[in-house]
Amino acid sequence: MPRPETRMVTLSIDGREVTAPENVMLVDGAKYGDVEIPVFCYEPKLGAPVGACRMCLVEIEGIPKLQTACSTPVKDGMVVHTQTARVHAAQEAIVEFLLINHPLDCPVCDKGGECPLQDISFGWGGGRSRFIEPKRHFQKPLALSPLIAIDRERCILCYRCVRFSQEIAEDYQLVLQERAAHTFVATFDGHPYVAPFSGNIIELCPVGALTSQPYRFRARPWDIEGSGSVCTLCPAQCNVNFTVRDERVLRVLARDHAEVDDGWLCDKGRFAYQAVHVDERITRPMIRDGGELRPVSWERALEHAASALGRAQARVGAIAGGETTNEEGFLLQRLVREVLLSNDVDSRAGGSLSLDLHRALGAPAAQATVSDLEFADAVLVLDCEPVDDAPILDLRIRKGVRRRRVELAVATSRPSSLDPNARLRVRFAPGCAEAFLLALEAAIGTAAGEPRREEVARLAQAAGADAGAVHALADLLTTSGDDVVVLWGERVTGGERGEYAGRALLNVAGRLGLRDRDGAGLLCVPAGTNGRGLAEAGVLPNAGPGLSEVEEAGRDAAGIAAAVAAGDLVALYLLHTDPLRDLPNRGAWEAALDRASLVVAHAAFLTEGIRAHADVVFPAESYAEKEGTVTHPDGRLQRLRPAIGHQGETRAEWQVLAELARRLGRDLGVHTGPMATDQLVAAVPFYAGITLDELGGKGLRWPAREAASAFPAPATAGPFELEPPAPAPAPNGRLRLGTFRSIWAAPEVEVSPALKFLHPRQRAELSPADAQRLKLFPGDRVTVGSDGHSVSAIVALRDGAPEGTVFLETAIPEDSASLLEGPLVEVRKA
Amino acid sequence: MTQLILFKDIDEPGLATLEVYQRRGGYEGMRKALGMSRDQLIAELEASGLRGRGGAGFSMGKKASFIPKGTMDKYLVCNADESEPGTFKDRELMQKCPHMLIEGMIIAAYAVGANRAFIYIRGEYELQAQILERALEEARGQGYIGEDILGSGHSMTLWLHRGAGAYICGEETALLDSLEGKRGNPRLKPPFPANQGLFQGPTLINNVETLATVPHIIRMGGEEYAKLGTPGSTGTKLVSVSGNVRNPGNFEIELGTPAREIIYGLAGGPHEGREVKFWFPGGSSSPVLLPKDLDLPYDFDSMAKAGSMLGSGAIIVIDDANSVVDVALKTAKFYRHESCGKCTPCREGTNWTVRMLERIDSGEATPMDLDIMASVQEQIIGNCLCVLGDAMAMPVGSMIAKFREEFEAHIEAARERNDALTTAVAPPEALIQGAVA
Amino acid sequence: MTIDPIDPRRVPRFDHGSRVPGWDEAVDLTKDPAEVPDPATTPVPDDLRAAIEAHIAKYPERRSATVPALREVQERYGWCTPEGIEQAACVLRLTPAYLISVATFYDMLETRPVGRNTIYVCTNISCSLCGADELYTTVRDEVGDDPEFNVRSFECLGACDIAPMASVNGTYVGPISLDEVPTLVQQVRDGAEPLPDKQLARRRSVDPNAASRS
Ligand SMILES: Cc1cc2nc3c(=O)[nH]c(=O)nc-3n(C[C@H](O)[C@H](O)[C@H](O)COP(=O)(O)O)c2cc1C
Ligand code: SF4
Ligand code: FES
Repeated sequence: MPRPETRMVTLSIDGREVTAPENVMLVDGAKYGDVEIPVFCYEPKLGAPVGACRMCLVEIEGIPKLQTACSTPVKDGMVVHTQTARVHAAQEAIVEFLLINHPLDCPVCDKGGECPLQDISFGWGGGRSRFIEPKRHFQKPLALSPLIAIDRERCILCYRCVRFSQEIAEDYQLVLQERAAHTFVATFDGHPYVAPFSGNIIELCPVGALTSQPYRFRARPWDIEGSGSVCTLCPAQCNVNFTVRDERVLRVLARDHAEVDDGWLCDKGRFAYQAVHVDERITRPMIRDGGELRPVSWERALEHAASALGRAQARVGAIAGGETTNEEGFLLQRLVREVLLSNDVDSRAGGSLSLDLHRALGAPAAQATVSDLEFADAVLVLDCEPVDDAPILDLRIRKGVRRRRVELAVATSRPSSLDPNARLRVRFAPGCAEAFLLALEAAIGTAAGEPRREEVARLAQAAGADAGAVHALADLLTTSGDDVVVLWGERVTGGERGEYAGRALLNVAGRLGLRDRDGAGLLCVPAGTNGRGLAEAGVLPNAGPGLSEVEEAGRDAAGIAAAVAAGDLVALYLLHTDPLRDLPNRGAWEAALDRASLVVAHAAFLTEGIRAHADVVFPAESYAEKEGTVTHPDGRLQRLRPAIGHQGETRAEWQVLAELARRLGRDLGVHTGPMATDQLVAAVPFYAGITLDELGGKGLRWPAREAASAFPAPATAGPFELEPPAPAPAPNGRLRLGTFRSIWAAPEVEVSPALKFLHPRQRAELSPADAQRLKLFPGDRVTVGSDGHSVSAIVALRDGAPEGTVFLETAIPEDSASLLEGPLVEVRKA
Repeated sequence: MTQLILFKDIDEPGLATLEVYQRRGGYEGMRKALGMSRDQLIAELEASGLRGRGGAGFSMGKKASFIPKGTMDKYLVCNADESEPGTFKDRELMQKCPHMLIEGMIIAAYAVGANRAFIYIRGEYELQAQILERALEEARGQGYIGEDILGSGHSMTLWLHRGAGAYICGEETALLDSLEGKRGNPRLKPPFPANQGLFQGPTLINNVETLATVPHIIRMGGEEYAKLGTPGSTGTKLVSVSGNVRNPGNFEIELGTPAREIIYGLAGGPHEGREVKFWFPGGSSSPVLLPKDLDLPYDFDSMAKAGSMLGSGAIIVIDDANSVVDVALKTAKFYRHESCGKCTPCREGTNWTVRMLERIDSGEATPMDLDIMASVQEQIIGNCLCVLGDAMAMPVGSMIAKFREEFEAHIEAARERNDALTTAVAPPEALIQGAVA
Repeated sequence: MTIDPIDPRRVPRFDHGSRVPGWDEAVDLTKDPAEVPDPATTPVPDDLRAAIEAHIAKYPERRSATVPALREVQERYGWCTPEGIEQAACVLRLTPAYLISVATFYDMLETRPVGRNTIYVCTNISCSLCGADELYTTVRDEVGDDPEFNVRSFECLGACDIAPMASVNGTYVGPISLDEVPTLVQQVRDGAEPLPDKQLARRRSVDPNAASRS
């Protein structure tokens, strides 16, 4: 679906000639002539206007009644008056009505000072009330959830919060009850409003009716400053505004970016800022001493690390976690490659891919953008769960389906929260994306007239998918229109056969003609926040900066673990990652960490691996303190700016990396943060010329710049001749293991007081049929095991769960599924 | 004497069954219509001059002609919510002659090319719902509803949808939301239902009486029908008369019949020794009229000219034994209760008005409050999302304007009564408590 | 000097309704969020499911069956119980919050426990002109605190011709004189037809022109 073109029209507002885009609502059109029309219920982000509050009434010549400017599109030649006696009378009337039952407790209200109701009453109200009846009084504030308080006295029933719940998040948990003047905002039967995006209603509320529990009474608008940056808690990289008071982050607000987040935030992004200031945070360097980590001076820590690394020399493996910035990643690989002379550096969790495949998948021509998800003809969600993996994309996909009738297909192993919105759902067995993609490719061929039905049937069976559904998917993708976007999770290319699955994906993309089409293409959801940027900065075992060739490829993460365990490597350098938490195959990593003679970590929290194994810990900056850039999955370089100074003794990571290099005898030539950016830009040809100024507040997509032509072309981007993978092993009474990482599985969530309640515990998600067979009931405690390892979990039934598979969470401190080796596990009552 | 159309056989035993209805010529209009083209049908309806009987009085034929042509999903909805206080005509029609409505709906659906039709009946009408369900079964059994009706190529489904008690669902867009399973909130217009109504499809919505008239128009011809009534208000109309009259009930009159004839002639006038004090000519939403207006012809234009409206054709007569304050309070309370709460002026304005009226009633007001109340009504009128707010503000405003002295006298009397009471008994403590309570 | 804070719970509920149950209710933070009930963990009685599915079949969108489904729930459980709402939500694939939002909008759907016998006394203009307010208090007094009854003053029921009237378990009767109230209430207690002669179903049209024809 092409984006609508905009035509300009000319109209008259209060005697001024105003030129505005056709069909925008009058309220917005008026802004082009610097005319402000007051609104309460109108919020274009919430979809079609509802015209409920009536604050925006204006006079339009030729229409006898006053009209709501929020719902009247501008037309050429329209003559509008916003300053007539009639309009003033109506505006004063509405303000008077709204204040009838509003408590006017502004002095004790969090919203005071940044409250639209205050502003509009002051600017457009009559400044008097003739209402002398007693006002309503209710208990206040009441909890709406652990995160949100509701003060129903203050509510002006503008409908924004419930519209958000129903039409944007589509969780339908927050509703209006009763009717007329009795109407109130509530949930069902006293259930809390807990949903991934609930916090947005705080920002939407134009009065102080919905307030943030963690922010309540922490500051007044005149105490605070706003500071724009980017949230690095997941790959969605939403733009945020930190509210800062006295060097403390007190709140996070959305910083509307139509190409990134559409003005929304998930609750992790909104509330996990608390992790910046908690006691659990590491703010001093530490060294293991007598088996315990003890705080030491920077000098000692640096010296210790430098000398130990110097001793290890080439026998060091380094891993960068997803939150690492481009600059940090770039400096890390310089440290490892140029100073320590090791090739073993990686940032990917799921094993390495060939350089050619990286180039083919990352090529600008194949790239779709976030807003393409909204304007595409069809979207395929492939082996990822947006709400967990990059939450804001979940809202964008819903928006496309709801507003632009995008045809949505979901192809995953685990039931998706997007299933109800999808035209088509296809399930395949966990880890069988390769077979599934081959089946899909064959089915697309069948749709194009090739006799490949049998092949589809065979491959679908190998993938544990329904062949009919695969054909239906092929039909949907080939007939909905040319603009198809495939949103794929990095787990597709994870594991041993990741390379082949990646090629199969390229084959499908080629079949669908997604390359070189604006508005169509592939969009990867990386496993880590800055997965794309780190690859482009050269934090891969087989690629240097700019996906350049390296003389000798090193070991990938799994290879590093094995080499350390085998004694081939002796030291580990962990930049923002705890392998026990973040990487698959926990057993292998435990062995490696046990054996390593040196573990240097940059960490903000003492997660289990760091606590038990690190020898030197450098306190890591929080994202609110960081300076640098990250790269969005669609290629947008975004700039992080420090909102607060370093907490405690924390130092910038780039500084620490440069200092270590210096102590090891090499000056990396980096003395300020921007110098690191300059070096990175100089080293990555397709970033050429980018400056921090150019990135500005909104970032910049490098694939859309001219320098993108310097992107190294892959030898081939397909089609590839591919062998079908071996079919999944027969279960023999066991269950397939599927894993997922919840949005709440993050150390920041664990330590943020407000979010603690959301931190996940292990649950075994089963289909009702399997549960019946195993005689298990919801709430039962079970052990799930394979090859001598087992984890404990609570049974949860899910109707949509495919039979024969059990789903467990990873990235949680206890009982993480990364302890288990698939593909088959046994589930037993504990 | 009025030529009876809708009520011609109304009390015939068994008229609610298909058999008797057909014996009385039922479904002939449908047969005739299915032989005509859609354009011809709409032309007949326009020629009849039939104006909607649900309240707004918009030309039925014109509304049908707004429905776009084409093959998209189109809908016909019968508004059988009948909740306007004083109105009970649709109830009698549906109960006694359900097939007349069904026949009208089949014709209307055919005329606009609608394949899905619904009757939205208020939840309280239990008996009428049962009767309609039975009649619908009969009609389906005859093939009048279903695939390829009588070989015409036209197919349709027709289901009864029962509401659950909300006056606002009579407002056509609120009705659509309610029928879609939502809270019955009115929608912004435009888009109008004719373009984007039920499930986003073009939708024709008409009142029960409007649709029940359709078969007769087709049978007798639009022009013939237009000869009845007055040029601006053609045809006959069912009028529900209630309140302080001796013989309350439904009457079929030719539009233009003097109101006095209806109230005194048909409904028997006020009880022994009583006089008409004022009357609502078109349900409780219509501004009240005085005895001097009784000789006006009862039709759309004359009622509008008199500053009121014909509305749903429900006349409520109030005699001189009643206080206007009571009636104003009842009226306002009704609208406060029934406001959907979506838009500010209606939600807050009706609430405020009731509370002021309560103070007036209890003697805690001054004449200045009457000015405020009148001004609040003006602040409501024209500023709401739908006209429910106006539906309170107009009659209440008209009562204040026309009976100001009585309001003032009431305030004065109540105050004197209170003074006597408080100085005699109430200790200040209780007064303070009372202010909170 | 200390000032006692106003305890809002002490502000009693005005008859004119500025307080509604629910306004002062916080959520229970120990509960899970109420999402669309999962069929795997929400047992729905077969007949209830079948009845709701039959309604769903009439409409192009499932959601349209919300009010009919809630009516089924009310019929079955006496009122729209939280469990009943969850069951309906499960069949309709909506959240229970959506259903409660709809249920509380409509006067005939009860969201708190009520007596089994419903008497709606119309107290709107036409009926009150004919003495409906007295009728309502009389019925209330007669019923007393019998928990089997749900007596409500209702807005215009569309039967002003038989004012003052009431809808007794769905049957319209009127005009009801005050001295008939004890009989009426007894009939309801006995499960008998309420005031058979006064039922609307038997009433002939009063239009003299219409009447003269049959
Ligand atoms: C608050 C309100 C309540 C209404 N109630 C009814 C009603 O109960 N029955 C009805 O037929 N029309 C009612 N109407 C009028 C409808 O909106 C609409 O005009 C009518 O159904 C159109 O049908 P008609 O053209 O056949 O009259 C109401 C309008 C409003 C504003
Ligand atoms: S709580 Fe706030 S956002 Fe929600 S309806 Fe009330 S005023 Fe609007
Ligand atoms: S902003 Fe237009 S009605 Fe609320």
